[in-house]
Amino acid sequence: MQAFDCAIVGAGPAGMSAAIVLARAGVQVAVLDRAPRAGGQVFRSAANSPVPDVAALGSDYSSGAALISRFEESGAAHFAGADAWHLGDDGRILFSHEGDTRELRCREMLLCPGAMERPMPIPGWTKPGVMTAGAAQVMLKSDAVVAEGAVFAGSGPLLYLIVAQYLRLGVPVAALVDTTPRRHYFDAAPQMFRALGHIRQLSKGLSLLREIRASGVAVHQFAERLEVIGGNKAEGVRFVATGKHHEIAADTVFLHHGVQPNLNMTRAMDLDHHWNPEQMCWQVSVDDFGQSSIAHVSVAGDSAGIVGADGAQAAGRLVALNILNRLGHLSQVERDQKADKDLSYLSSLKPFRRFIDCLYHPTDALRLPRDPETLVCRCEEQSLDDLRKGFEQGARDPNALKSLTRCGMGPCQGRQCGHVVAGLLAKWRGENPETVGYYRLRSPQRLLTLDELSRYGAVQAEAAE
Amino acid sequence: MKADVLVIGGGIQGCATAFHLARRGVSVIVVEKDYAGRHASGVNAGGVRLLGRDMAEVPLSKMSMEMWQSLDEELGHETGFRRQALINIAVNEVDLDTLRAREDKMRAAGYTHERIIDRTELIGRLPHVNPECVGGVISELDGYAIPYKATAAFRRAAETLGAQVIEGEEVLGLRRIGNTWLAQGRKQRYEAETVVNCAGAWADRIALMIGDNVPLSHAAPMLMITARMPHFAKPVVGAVSRQLSFKQFENGTVLIGGGAKGFADRANDRTRLDYSKLAAACRTAAEFFPIMRKASINRMWAGLEAYMPDNLPVIGPAVNAARAFHAFGFSAHGFQMGPVVGQVMADLVTGGQSRFDLSPLRIDRFDRKVL
Repeated sequence: MQAFDCAIVGAGPAGMSAAIVLARAGVQVAVLDRAPRAGGQVFRSAANSPVPDVAALGSDYSSGAALISRFEESGAAHFAGADAWHLGDDGRILFSHEGDTRELRCREMLLCPGAMERPMPIPGWTKPGVMTAGAAQVMLKSDAVVAEGAVFAGSGPLLYLIVAQYLRLGVPVAALVDTTPRRHYFDAAPQMFRALGHIRQLSKGLSLLREIRASGVAVHQFAERLEVIGGNKAEGVRFVATGKHHEIAADTVFLHHGVQPNLNMTRAMDLDHHWNPEQMCWQVSVDDFGQSSIAHVSVAGDSAGIVGADGAQAAGRLVALNILNRLGHLSQVERDQKADKDLSYLSSLKPFRRFIDCLYHPTDALRLPRDPETLVCRCEEQSLDDLRKGFEQGARDPNALKSLTRCGMGPCQGRQCGHVVAGLLAKWRGENPETVGYYRLRSPQRLLTLDELSRYGAVQAEAAE
Repeated sequence: MKADVLVIGGGIQGCATAFHLARRGVSVIVVEKDYAGRHASGVNAGGVRLLGRDMAEVPLSKMSMEMWQSLDEELGHETGFRRQALINIAVNEVDLDTLRAREDKMRAAGYTHERIIDRTELIGRLPHVNPECVGGVISELDGYAIPYKATAAFRRAAETLGAQVIEGEEVLGLRRIGNTWLAQGRKQRYEAETVVNCAGAWADRIALMIGDNVPLSHAAPMLMITARMPHFAKPVVGAVSRQLSFKQFENGTVLIGGGAKGFADRANDRTRLDYSKLAAACRTAAEFFPIMRKASINRMWAGLEAYMPDNLPVIGPAVNAARAFHAFGFSAHGFQMGPVVGQVMADLVTGGQSRFDLSPLRIDRFDRKVL
């Protein structure tokens, strides 16, 4: 059995940055990531991009290549293609690697599973041809695949970024349908002044929008009552903007309205979580150094609260310093001295974050389904109406509703519908989401073949020798 | 709050008891520390099994099986019950000898619901079974239900008849003053003439408050369920001498049990899984049904369940207090008994007796043992 001082799950900006600090200090560190190359979502394939004109993806993306090479040279043991499916608070990690289950033990565990896109259960969101902006990014970064003539609908920086990337690559875009409500601009205005310290990020965002407008692509602002139209597959979108009804034809619709922490690992480990009202999502409770309610389990990056790629790198370094302290490599005074710069950087990000949270605050119209027949749980095909009936039958808790309706019991194990169900129950009960709670998540983190698990005993025997 | 009867525990036994009492016009409050069906009653394997019952349980289990056949209509809500033959597979002659000895005992007691089958019939009923298996025993009356749905069906039917179910309410103390039981809950106080202890894995604590000691333990039996597969097994499957138990539901998912236990952290209402034992359960499933190698495991979980040293429940009156009754300790096979237990408890509460012989199930059956 392999034992490490620290195991890091996820080789995105947070995980890589932490690994670099730890490995340089001489700590035995293992990094598990399911992708063949490090980078995470944001720097996916940044070191080996299949996109011919990689500059079109932006300088932020290209900067990932340098981080990846520093990580790869750091001396951390990188398990590429390692899919962690169980994380134990006893420091045991079970992961699939080349078709087998392997096990490693660690004194300190660092979870960096990143963010996931908020579900957007508008009418028609489950039709074939509807994808998320994140999926568009994955296709582009991993395989240089694009969808011509697509509609992009929703709001948030990631949506504008992918549209801009498409345009730079010369891919035709049917329209950008922006659902950011007019009132959010007024609400966010006071925050903007406080965020001026981060003028670079602010101007980056503005220049994306300027770039999109300058390209001549149709931009519809303040869109409401958004829905995907079509029969068995998406044929376009319909919405109301500035008092007029619009219909735009497209075979592909990319939806996005922000990201939220990926809770799969932190919830399955039963770490303490709290409700974040600005981002309308649950997030794991950690201290400034990413330490969770289980002392030897830390969380860094977007999974501990959305901070973006730069913030994730700072958070990763901070967690690493704390782990060095816990492992006896650094005194607390040394930790605090070395942490100073990243701590102030993260704290300086806060006003910018508040501005973004305010401007792109998820609206109930996009966060919660409105039509009775709209599917909430895609795996088990449970609609809003099915859930409402379950609630009326007395299932007031997310887990009770799951047991009754099977919503959240399919292959994704409620990882997609969790926030929608919690949001609906909070609305129906007239209570705070914190009171309503969340699904109990369980290992495995994803479907695991019976054949693979049945060979797990052999791993144990080998380890005992 | 006041009622004639306070039922402690909102699992299937508590909800069924409330239903039968409410149907007789008795006012009932059910208090449940989490939510109704949260623990063993809501997360078990859903087996509605008569096959292989201990002789002491057979009369109750047979009655319950009859009640399951028309339970949906009786309650007015779906329990997900499906009648489906249960087969316990024999892998060798030793297993068959075990089955024959059991058959002799059952026939002598006048029971005919279990029938030994040969290899040909086994393969006829389970075409994907490993052909090395030699036969088995079948009960045609058996079946399965959806645990949470069934518990919720009893709860809703009881509520329709006027019973009150208070969730998120833990009983912290229980005293008998004169002819009244006073219960102190976390939220409020309750008064009742009678208490019924259906507190499952926590029932020893309630028993203690009532005045009865009981050697109850708890454990965390583990289950796994696969993603949907093509239909390959209609009957519910067990094995005579191996830890194997599985059933394929109508939607194609396959539930794998077998009795392997994880770790029960009762103080924190939590369970942990023992993956090496689950791996062994996978090997057993694939050994009996090679087709299972292609399955994908979607979820693994465990529930907190109460066990008695002899694996038989406690059903009957308290011995050290008046107007208190127990129904707990079902040792991982109580789900099927829910319907009849509700009726038996209502009989005990309203008439003081049951038509079943409950003497092997009394709470003090271990008291007289001298070690």
